[in-house]
Amino acid sequence: MLEISDLSYSYPDGHQAIEKISLNLGAGESVALVGANGAGKSSFFKLIIGIAAASSGLIKIDELSVEKKTLKEVRQRVGMVFQNPDDQLFMTKVYDDVAFGPRNQLLSDSEVDEKVMAALEQLDILHLKDRMPHRLSGGEKRMIAIATVLCMDPELILFDEPSSFLDPKARRKVIQTLKKLTMTKLIATHDLDMALEVCDRVVILNKGKIFADGPVKEILYDEKLLLEANLELPLGLQKIN
Amino acid sequence: MTGISESMSTINSLEELADKKTIIHQIHPRVKLILTLLYIVLVISYKPYDITGLTFYAFYPIILMVLGEIPFMPLFKRLLIALPFSFFAGLSNIFFDRQAAFFIGSLPITFGLISFFSIMLKTIFTVMAVLILIATTSMPKIAYQLLSFKLPQMIVEQIMLTYRYISVLLQEVSSMYTAYILRSPGAKGIKMQDMGVFVGQLLLRSFDRAENIYMAMKCRGYDGKFLYAKPQPMIKSDWMILLMTAGLLFLMRFFDLGLFIGNFVR
Repeated sequence: MLEISDLSYSYPDGHQAIEKISLNLGAGESVALVGANGAGKSSFFKLIIGIAAASSGLIKIDELSVEKKTLKEVRQRVGMVFQNPDDQLFMTKVYDDVAFGPRNQLLSDSEVDEKVMAALEQLDILHLKDRMPHRLSGGEKRMIAIATVLCMDPELILFDEPSSFLDPKARRKVIQTLKKLTMTKLIATHDLDMALEVCDRVVILNKGKIFADGPVKEILYDEKLLLEANLELPLGLQKIN
Repeated sequence: MTGISESMSTINSLEELADKKTIIHQIHPRVKLILTLLYIVLVISYKPYDITGLTFYAFYPIILMVLGEIPFMPLFKRLLIALPFSFFAGLSNIFFDRQAAFFIGSLPITFGLISFFSIMLKTIFTVMAVLILIATTSMPKIAYQLLSFKLPQMIVEQIMLTYRYISVLLQEVSSMYTAYILRSPGAKGIKMQDMGVFVGQLLLRSFDRAENIYMAMKCRGYDGKFLYAKPQPMIKSDWMILLMTAGLLFLMRFFDLGLFIGNFVR
C-alpha cells in the first residue's frame, strides 16, 4: 500500500532529518512509528503527504508516486491528523470544518452532508456538529480532527501523536476509535502503551534512520533495544516486571 | 482574557449569521458583491458638503438588516472599531474650515462641521455595507466571486487567510498574555519594556501556527480556488434585484431626491 525506498530529507540548514529510509506498509496494517524527540517522525509524515519535498528517494501510494503533479490525488488517498487539533480546526463550526475536505473534493451538497454526518456518527460526536471548535475540550477537538480526515475516505491515515494532551477517558476513546478504523494507519507516538494496544507492528526511528522494525510484541517487549533508542518499556509492561 | 475570548466569539458570530436562509441570504453572491461595491463607490463619490443626498443612502443598510434579520449590535460593535479613524480624520476639518455655511438661529454651521459629518456618514454607510455582505454571504462564496471578477488569486488568498488567521493571532495573544501575567504579579498589562519581545514572539508563534494551519488545509485539498463555493447560475429574480437596486442607487446619486420631496410636500 505504502512503499518507501531510500528516502532522505535535509532541513534548509543542512541538518539531515531522514536518511535513506525504506519501508513498506501493507493494506490495512496498523503500524506505530516511535522514536525519541527529534528522531524525524514529523518530517517523515510531511514527506509522505507531500508537504515537504524529499532530497532523494521514492514514495509510492500503491502505484502512485508522491510528486508535485500528483499531490492532489495523494491527499485524497492519504489523510493526516495533526498533533495539535487547533492547527487542524480552523472553521467557525464543527460541521464546516468536517465538510472542508469533501467540499474541496467538489462533491455535491448532499454528498458532503452524507459524508460529514457519517463521519460524525461513526465517532459518536454528532451532537457537536453545530458547536464552535475553539470552545470544545481537547478530547472533543481530537475526535473532530479525526472526523475531518475520515470523511475524505482515505486509504491511509497518518496520526501524529493522537493521544497527546488527553485525559485518560479521552485517550481511551481515541484508542477505541483507532482500533475500529480499518484503513492502513501509521501512528507516530510516544505512547507505547497505546501502540501496544492498537498496532500490529512497530518501526523505531532513531536519528533519521530505521533502528528497528518488527511485530509489536517483539519490539516493545525488548527493553534493551528500547533503551538503545532512547525509549523505555511501555508502562503496562514495567508494572508487570 | 475574557476580552480576547469574547473577541473571538464576536469574529465568528458575524460569519455564523451567513448561514441564515432569509431573502437577502438567498440572493446570488455576485449580485450582493456588485451592489455592495456600487454602493460604496456611489457613497464615496459625494462631495464633502453634500449631506442631504448622502442621508438617503441609509435606506440600503437598514432594509438589508431588516430583511436579512441581522441584529444591529454585532454590526455596531464592529463599526465602532472603524469610527475613531474617520473621527480623528474629520476632526481637523472642524478646526481648519470655519467658514459659516448657514445659521441655525444665531448658531453658525461651518463647512468644516458639515464635511466632518459627511466623513462620518460615509464611514458608517460603507463599513455597514461590507459587514452586511459578510453577514449574509459566506467568506468562501465572496472569495469565489472575487476570483470570478479576475482579482488575482494571490490577493484573494491573502484576504481570506488574513481573515482566518485573526482568531489564530488572538489565541496566541491569549495564551502568551496569560503566561506573562501569571509571572508578573501586580502588573496590569504588558510593561513597555517587555512589549518588543512580546510582539516579536507573538509574530514568530503566529507564523508557525499559520503555517501549520495552511498545511492542514492543503492536506484536505485546499488549492485557493474556492471552487466548492461556486453558486448556481443567476436566475431571473437575481437579475431583477440587481437592476432595480442598482437603478435606485444611481437615481439617488444623480437625481436630487431632497429637492423633489421638498417640492412635493410644498
